[in-house]
Amino acid sequence: MTAITIMVEPGKCQGHARCYSFAPEIFDLDDEGYIALEKIIVSGEDEELAREAVEACPENALKIVGE
Amino acid sequence: MSNQTAIPDHIPQDLVRDFSFWTAPDMAPTPGGDPHLALSELHNGPRIFYAPNNTRDGQGTWVLTRLEDMREVLQDSDSFSSYRSIFSSAIGESWPLIPLEIDPPDHTAFRSMLNPLLSPKRMAALDHSVRQRAIDLIETFKDDGHCEVMSQFAFPYAVSIFLEFLGLPQEDMPKFLNWANSLLHPKTPDERTKAAHEVIEFLDDLAAFRRKTPGDDFVTYVVQAKVKGRHLTDLEVRGMNILIFIAGLDTVAAGIGFDLSYLARHPKDQKTLRDDPKVIRKAIEELLRAFSTVQMIRTARKDMEFAGVQIKKGDLMSCASQIGNRDPNEFPDPNRIDFTRNANRHMAFAYGVHRCLGSHLARRELISSLEEWHRLIPEYRVKEGCPPVAHGGFVFGVKSLELVWD
Ligand code: HEM
Ligand code: SF4
Repeated sequence: MTAITIMVEPGKCQGHARCYSFAPEIFDLDDEGYIALEKIIVSGEDEELAREAVEACPENALKIVGE
Repeated sequence: MSNQTAIPDHIPQDLVRDFSFWTAPDMAPTPGGDPHLALSELHNGPRIFYAPNNTRDGQGTWVLTRLEDMREVLQDSDSFSSYRSIFSSAIGESWPLIPLEIDPPDHTAFRSMLNPLLSPKRMAALDHSVRQRAIDLIETFKDDGHCEVMSQFAFPYAVSIFLEFLGLPQEDMPKFLNWANSLLHPKTPDERTKAAHEVIEFLDDLAAFRRKTPGDDFVTYVVQAKVKGRHLTDLEVRGMNILIFIAGLDTVAAGIGFDLSYLARHPKDQKTLRDDPKVIRKAIEELLRAFSTVQMIRTARKDMEFAGVQIKKGDLMSCASQIGNRDPNEFPDPNRIDFTRNANRHMAFAYGVHRCLGSHLARRELISSLEEWHRLIPEYRVKEGCPPVAHGGFVFGVKSLELVWD
C-alpha cells in the first residue's frame, strides 16, 4: 500500500480549516481551530482526498514530503 | 473625493494610474454591472501601480494585482501594519477595532481569546439555528413567487444571526437593520455619524448589562475574558463588539446577493446545486473566490523594495481580494466559474494572522442559505426589466436583486 507524508510548516497555519473541511479525521484542529499536528501520514484510499486538501490550504502551510 | 493628496516623490510617474474602488468602471451602483469582471482588466497592466486617491478620505495607495504578492504582504505583519482607526475616526475618535486594526503581539493575545468562540467545531453546533433562520425567512416570501433578495433575505438573515450570537432578541432586528443601512449606505455623512453613535451607545450599554447579568453569549464572554492576565477595558470591549457587528453584515449579505445573482443567470449551475446539494460546499469556495468583497489595506513599516518598486515607510498597500482572486497566474481562466476547481487557495477571507475570524460562521451561513434556498425555491430567474444592481467600494455588494419563480 502506498503512503504520503504531509509536513505542516510551523507558524504558517492560520486556521482556515480548508484541510479539515476535506477530511476532518486526517487534519485534526485544536480548540482555537489551528492544525494540531506536525506530521501526517496518509495511506490508501484517503490519499487523493489528502492531496486535494494540501492543494487547498491558502497559506501553503501543508507540504507533501515523502511519497 | 476632493482633497486629493500630492503624489509622493518616490512614486515613478509611469506607475501612477487614475484608479479607485469608487470611480473605476462598474464601481458605482450599476444595473447589470459586473464590478469583478471590470477589475479583472487590471491583470493586463503592471504588477503593482499607484492610485493617488483610493481611500474614502482621499489618500493614495499602492494597488497590488498579483495574488502571490498580496499573500506575501498579508503574511508579513512585521513589515506591514494593520494599525488604523477607520471606524472611530469617522466620529472624531481614535480607538482601533479589535482585532482588525491592531498588530501582533497584542493581536495574537486577542485572537487567542476569540478563536475558540468562532472555531469550526463550535460553529458546527450552530448549524441548526442558522439553518432555521434561513427557512423562516424564505417561508415569508416563497409563495409570492418573487422577492427582492437583499432586503427580504440576505440582510435580515445576516442581522438575525448576529443578534443570536450576541444574545439579543429578534425584536431588535429593525433597529439593527436601520443602523446597518445608515452605516454602510448613508445618504449623508451625518446619517453615518449619528448611526455610529447610536450603535456604540447600544453596545456599550449591553456590555455594562452583561457585566452585571451574565448570559451565554458573545458579549458575556468578552466582558469576562482575560487577555495578558487582565480584564479588558471598556474601549477594548467596544472595539470588539462593534467589529463583530460590522464585519459580518454586508460581507455575508453581499456573498448571498452575488451568489444568487450569478445562479439566477446561470440555470445549469443552479440546477447542479438543486439536484446535488453536496456540491454546494465546494461551490461556495468558488463563489467566494469569484465574488470576493473585501479590500485589505496595510501600512509599510519601513522603506523596502517590493514587487519591483521602492516602497517608503508609511505607504499604504491595497490588497484587494476582488483583484487577487481573479489573478490568471493563480487561477487558470479566472473569470470562468467552475464548481469543480481544485487548488482553490483563494483569499476571500485574507491570509496571515488576520484571517477572517468569522470565516467558519460565514461559510455556515452561506452553505445553509444556499442549501435551504435551493430546497425550497423552484427554478428562479432575474425579474424581467430589473437587472441586478451591484457596486464596488471598500466592501463590494449588491444593492438590489429581484428574482421570480413559477
Ligand atoms: C462572507 C463573509 C465574510 C467575508 C468575505 C469576510 C472577509 C474578511 C476579511 C478579508 C478579513 C481580513 C481583513 C483584514 O485583514 O484587513 C476579515 C476579518 C474579520 N472578519 Fe470577516 N468576513 C466575512 C464574514 C464575517 C463574519 C460573519 C464575522 C463575524 C463573526 C466576521 C468577523 C471578522 C473579524 C472579527 C475580523 C478581524 C480578524 C482579525 O483582524 O484578526 N467576518 N473578514
Ligand atoms: S487549510 Fe492550511 S491554514 Fe487552514 S487549517 Fe488547514 S493547515 Fe491551517
